[in-house]
Amino acid sequence: MNEEPEQNPSPEEPVRPSEEPLPPAAAEGLKEWSRREVIKMGGLLGLGVAVGVGVVAVSREQGPPGTPEGDTTVRKLPAPPPAAFGDAEDPLLGMQRDLVRAMAKPREQRQWMMVIDTRKCVGCMGCTIGCVAENKLPPGVVYRPVLTKEVGSYPNLGIRFTPRPCMQCDEPPCVPVCPARATWKGPDGVVVIDYDRCIGCRYCLTACPYGARTSDFGLSYVEHAAEGAPTGDSRPLEGTPAAWEVLPSHEYGKSWSRADGGSPVGNARKCHFCLHRLEVGQLPVCTTTCIGRATYFGDGNDPEALVTKLSVLPNADVLLPEKGTHPRVYYLR
Amino acid sequence: MNTSVSSPIIDTTPPPGPSPKGGLRAALSTPAGRVLLILWLAVAGVGIWGVVERLTSGHTGAGYGSYVPWGLWVAMYFHLVGLAGGTFVLGALGFMFRWKGFERLAALRTTIVLSIALILPAFIGVWLDLGRLGRAYRIFASPSFTSMMAFNAWMYTGFIVVALVALWLTYRKRSSWLRPVLALGVLLSLAFPSQSGAFFGVIDAKPYWNSALLPFLFLVSAIVAGAALLLVVRYLQGRYEFTAWDQGATDNWEAAVGRLRMVTLAGIVVYLVLEFAEISIGFWSPVADAPGLELMLWGAYWWVFWIVHVLFGALIPIVLLATRRKVLWMVAGALTAVAFVSARLNILIPGQTLSELKGLNEAFYHERLVFDYKATWEEYLVALFLVAVAATLFYLGVWATASISERRRTQGGAS
Repeated sequence: MNEEPEQNPSPEEPVRPSEEPLPPAAAEGLKEWSRREVIKMGGLLGLGVAVGVGVVAVSREQGPPGTPEGDTTVRKLPAPPPAAFGDAEDPLLGMQRDLVRAMAKPREQRQWMMVIDTRKCVGCMGCTIGCVAENKLPPGVVYRPVLTKEVGSYPNLGIRFTPRPCMQCDEPPCVPVCPARATWKGPDGVVVIDYDRCIGCRYCLTACPYGARTSDFGLSYVEHAAEGAPTGDSRPLEGTPAAWEVLPSHEYGKSWSRADGGSPVGNARKCHFCLHRLEVGQLPVCTTTCIGRATYFGDGNDPEALVTKLSVLPNADVLLPEKGTHPRVYYLR
Repeated sequence: MNTSVSSPIIDTTPPPGPSPKGGLRAALSTPAGRVLLILWLAVAGVGIWGVVERLTSGHTGAGYGSYVPWGLWVAMYFHLVGLAGGTFVLGALGFMFRWKGFERLAALRTTIVLSIALILPAFIGVWLDLGRLGRAYRIFASPSFTSMMAFNAWMYTGFIVVALVALWLTYRKRSSWLRPVLALGVLLSLAFPSQSGAFFGVIDAKPYWNSALLPFLFLVSAIVAGAALLLVVRYLQGRYEFTAWDQGATDNWEAAVGRLRMVTLAGIVVYLVLEFAEISIGFWSPVADAPGLELMLWGAYWWVFWIVHVLFGALIPIVLLATRRKVLWMVAGALTAVAFVSARLNILIPGQTLSELKGLNEAFYHERLVFDYKATWEEYLVALFLVAVAATLFYLGVWATASISERRRTQGGAS
């Protein structure tokens, strides 16, 4: 080994022996391993591995946090009478009756699903904006964007629209990655988030292959509107969201206010098939705002429901089937 | 070899016993100490500014969004836990198997203090990344061990407990529990860097991450970076009196530095081989389609891979470690320990910047809904804060362990 000229540990202060010499290494207990030490080591390592295996096994067997089920979830809602326009009824009316029928059953007997007919979608983004309005979504949070893809080349050009709600997967990859048991597959097939439990780690965002989860970063549409605005009474207050921005949303049947940074600020957010609307007999807002009647919604357990019939058409498909997520949203191509 | 510092019967601790004042005076007594102190003040100062920004304005100053949800802080988190695991593995194994330069209790204490000083700021980094800071406790109150994140959090916590117990046992006279507890610590500190790789590897939604090689890459990089940092610490400890070191901590430091040099060197080579395996499989497939790899190698952040990782993190350190001058090994160690954060970034960021669904970023425009990431100044400042916290904890830990040793020695107890 190379000798360096500056190897004295403290050039200004010469090394000096202590008043009491350090014991040699052996005196610090560094003798050969005793049998007792080996047994203790084996015990500790075995215990550590056993605890690790045990907690994983328990977690895998653990059910989701409670979601109300049974008779208390039955809703008696008025059904609209059949109303024909010409020779066809607006599918919304049929779906409304499907919804009333489904809500008359306990929650665990419903399996909500959606079918989107991409040939009817005109790309108006009405569903996207309707959803933003319904759920009071802040900037940067979107539940149902519409993907647009141009195909072909001039003069044979086409545009394909793919509205993308949450797929409400039967094997949701976003659920097991949650470290705090804040998201789970509900008994009615909808993957829900408990905003009061979510810690905002965003692991679920990375786990969703559809990018269906977005994080509420606490942004506001107008808090910076004062920048560059003229002075006077009409000038917005700097750093203050508008009153309409902090109106409570009613997701999951609760009242959520983003005022003062309360949840869902900081949480993961996603489409939930407008569970709060279903409770009062309203179809999801993306379904009712669809001007092309391209979105169908209903109970997959109901053989008479429109969605059940559409989902088995030969042109029905799901997004990214190779991911093995088993989505509950079907696309007609 | 300089026998005056390698002899076990020489005390390099200046009497009387260390005190905060004495430690600081010692730190200021050398030019290098003064430089480090000024650096620390600068880093801590601007770092605190970043943390205040984060706490007062939430996530508005950060560059990550919903499609790239994790950025620099998460990379720092994984880098720091890797450093903690790597240093502990080497220090504990060295003590358990009596490698020269590692066999002293004081050297072991240095390692334990260093690993704890690294893992605590890692927690701060990932805590500041959370959307709901006040709910971090829920990982412990209602965990789901189907999540690698919960499993990791528990493993780190378990590690901290084990490391503290081991530290306490070093003051017990000839405890037969010390080496068994260290063995458990080694198991944990091998497990959690590997789990960090599994953390990403289990995400099927990101093909770039979904590789069984990831746990190995993370483990090797943890050991490389840990060895490199420990090399820097042991070198500086042996060469300079920044503080009153724990008695015996500098014994055989040259042998320790030599061993760490070899571990770092071998580790870098192993990491490069594993990385080559990962890249080559992606590109030599007959229907090669590896957009994540292409992004890493030739995308916007090509320089993170080629300049920071390959040049400063691997090639220059290899050259420096191949020389015979210890001061160059120390420089190599510092480069490797810092630049290996790029190994984390090279996995973290490209994995997130690719969408499985084409056209998602154009579907609904917002700056938080893009498959692109650029760390903001606030993120860099917080990263500096984490470094400052690690340095502070290490200094305080070294001072505290030295004080306890000194008190025990003067009282005639076990050292």
